[in-house]
Amino acid sequence: MRYTIAKRTAIVALLTGVAGTVLWHTGAVPLGAYIGPPLLAVAALLALIGSRPPYCQPVTPEPEDCQQPRPVAPADPDNPDSLVDQMLGQGRYALLLRPQVACDLRAELFERTLTELQNHMALVPDGAVVLGDTDGNAGELEIGADGSPRQPRSVRVAPYFLDRYPVTNREFFEFVASGGYEQIAFWDTAIWPAVLDFVDRSGRPGPCFWNDGCYAVGRHDHPVVGVCWYEAAAYARWAGKRLPTDAEWVKSGAWPVMLSNSQSSQRRFPWGDTMDRSKANLWGSGPGHTVSVRQYDDGVSVGGIYQLIGNVWEWTRSDYVPSYFAPEEFIAESPLKSLRGGAFDTYFDNQATCQFQSGDIQIARKQNIGFRCAVSVCDLMLYQESTRDDQDSDLPEEVLA
Amino acid sequence: MTKGVIVPLESARLVEYAVPVDCYICEGQNNFDAEFCRYCSAPMALAHQAETNKTPPTLVACMGVSGVGKTVYLGMLMDMLSRGSGDTRLLARGAFSINMQQATVSSLSRCGFPGKTPNEPDSWNWVHCQVRTGKSRHPLDLIMPDMAGEALLEEMDHPHSYRVIGSFLQKCAGTLVLVDAMKLLEGGQEQEFFTMKLTSYLGELSQKRKNQWATRPLGVVFTKADRCEECMADPEGFAKAHAAGLWQQCHERFPMHRFFASGVAGSCAWRDTYDEGRVQVPLRVEPHGIIEPFEWLLGKLRKPRA
Repeated sequence: MRYTIAKRTAIVALLTGVAGTVLWHTGAVPLGAYIGPPLLAVAALLALIGSRPPYCQPVTPEPEDCQQPRPVAPADPDNPDSLVDQMLGQGRYALLLRPQVACDLRAELFERTLTELQNHMALVPDGAVVLGDTDGNAGELEIGADGSPRQPRSVRVAPYFLDRYPVTNREFFEFVASGGYEQIAFWDTAIWPAVLDFVDRSGRPGPCFWNDGCYAVGRHDHPVVGVCWYEAAAYARWAGKRLPTDAEWVKSGAWPVMLSNSQSSQRRFPWGDTMDRSKANLWGSGPGHTVSVRQYDDGVSVGGIYQLIGNVWEWTRSDYVPSYFAPEEFIAESPLKSLRGGAFDTYFDNQATCQFQSGDIQIARKQNIGFRCAVSVCDLMLYQESTRDDQDSDLPEEVLA
Repeated sequence: MTKGVIVPLESARLVEYAVPVDCYICEGQNNFDAEFCRYCSAPMALAHQAETNKTPPTLVACMGVSGVGKTVYLGMLMDMLSRGSGDTRLLARGAFSINMQQATVSSLSRCGFPGKTPNEPDSWNWVHCQVRTGKSRHPLDLIMPDMAGEALLEEMDHPHSYRVIGSFLQKCAGTLVLVDAMKLLEGGQEQEFFTMKLTSYLGELSQKRKNQWATRPLGVVFTKADRCEECMADPEGFAKAHAAGLWQQCHERFPMHRFFASGVAGSCAWRDTYDEGRVQVPLRVEPHGIIEPFEWLLGKLRKPRA
């Protein structure tokens, strides 16, 4: 860009100089008025020769490509409430609701924290969920190595909260800005030697596609992508949460309903049983890249969770278990973690269902993989003794019990 | 015991047998009811369909070493264009033209790759289709075969062993050559050598100045590039860095060439099967860079040659 402007300026100067010289030669103008243009032409020629072609220039981001956002203001050591404010601003409300912390919160701050939890996370009740291919897509491949048909399995999950939206660039920025990549306690011990390698395009700690430690302008509410499974897990720990298990993720989208003791009905998509591409950012229905997590509202699940299908694949904490063929036939170069939900470039309808599972290696940092977090109800303190009598919480009785 | 069947001699039928039908690929003479050409094994349906056209169909080749992803590329290309979501739309002509699309989509959606294309030309999938672009009013009739990589290699090493390949490439208006980006990245030279053989073969195919391959467009498509960010971002730079010989040959012998990167599977693993041994399986399907090379080729075909 800068090269182009310089080149254009030099060419204009050169043309002006040449035109001035010609006019002076023809006698149309006096010498004194055009003593400058010939000099200008020579200078422009030198500038053109001296300027390097674009492929020789180092690639530096344009200033407008990267607008450093401001992290939440640090806590005031003299004001104990400011630490809570800071943590709430950073989205670490789940950490404040841990019993060890929540019991010391003032009632007003506790209520604020609880409200933050309800605004950002949806409660999914306990119950059974069926994992595996329940649509019959696997067809004849749904036969194990021993020749016996492999049945989908039922898993029971305890109640939990799940993020209503995938984690956004802005939210992840708080983690990066607070030194999340330097605080080794958030990271799995197995990955400690490699954390230094989790850098952005400029070499600073952060997601793969960021530059100079920040995301691109206008993408603050896009889901964060270019983060590996370890980065997602580290963020979740920092926020006082964790990655959801496979069963939890499927349950929040498929929203199973028990019809009898042995049978349950679950949805193929959060909005129902039929694919409607207008409700998710998938191949052919979106712009071909990530969009804001606030878009595609119509694709909301029964429990009020958005964009489970489309936009980005989501890391879960479970390992990948192939459902289209027997696990004993499956060979991967390194262990794979489970991905759910499909992304903006997912092509087939049957690969953008609640049941479909994909996988990738734990250190994969791709442009279509993000995550959302969960936290178990049993890990949170959802009432204080002083507030319990009031019972003004919106949470259901069974959760408070 | 067999029973003799009396077939009435119809004069019309005799006349049809008397007039031979030329194969559209090798121009060998065949009976009107032959399914495949007796010389090159190309489907005779191509010749019958071409007869109905005012302008003859254009031949486009998609070539590459065995396992590079020719079937997946062509199958996905057909499926993506036939969905009609972009500027370029495709309409298959004849039921046989949908076989490859069906086989590819059916396999990929079940997390598998389509089976290996057999070497026998009568088992290949041929596609005859009409392609319509947003800018142009008139559709372009195209014929694209899914040729087996091993047959291509055999024809290059021993010319005339596969008549259909030689005849097809003589008449071909442009080609896409597929190269496995991952194998290049791993340091394997086979992909580059094969592609260089192929481009040399094309260069020597027609000696007439007017029909030389140098005047036809050649797109080099790096497949499986979704697992190589460097290749996806800059295919030309990737070619220069990892296939310098090929890059040099393209620049010297094919003025109308361009490098592309494509990918279909977002992630892959392996599966041990009883019958085929260890086969690669896609864990999800995310097509990237499939349509761009084809649209570039179309653009070059529509422009009158210099």
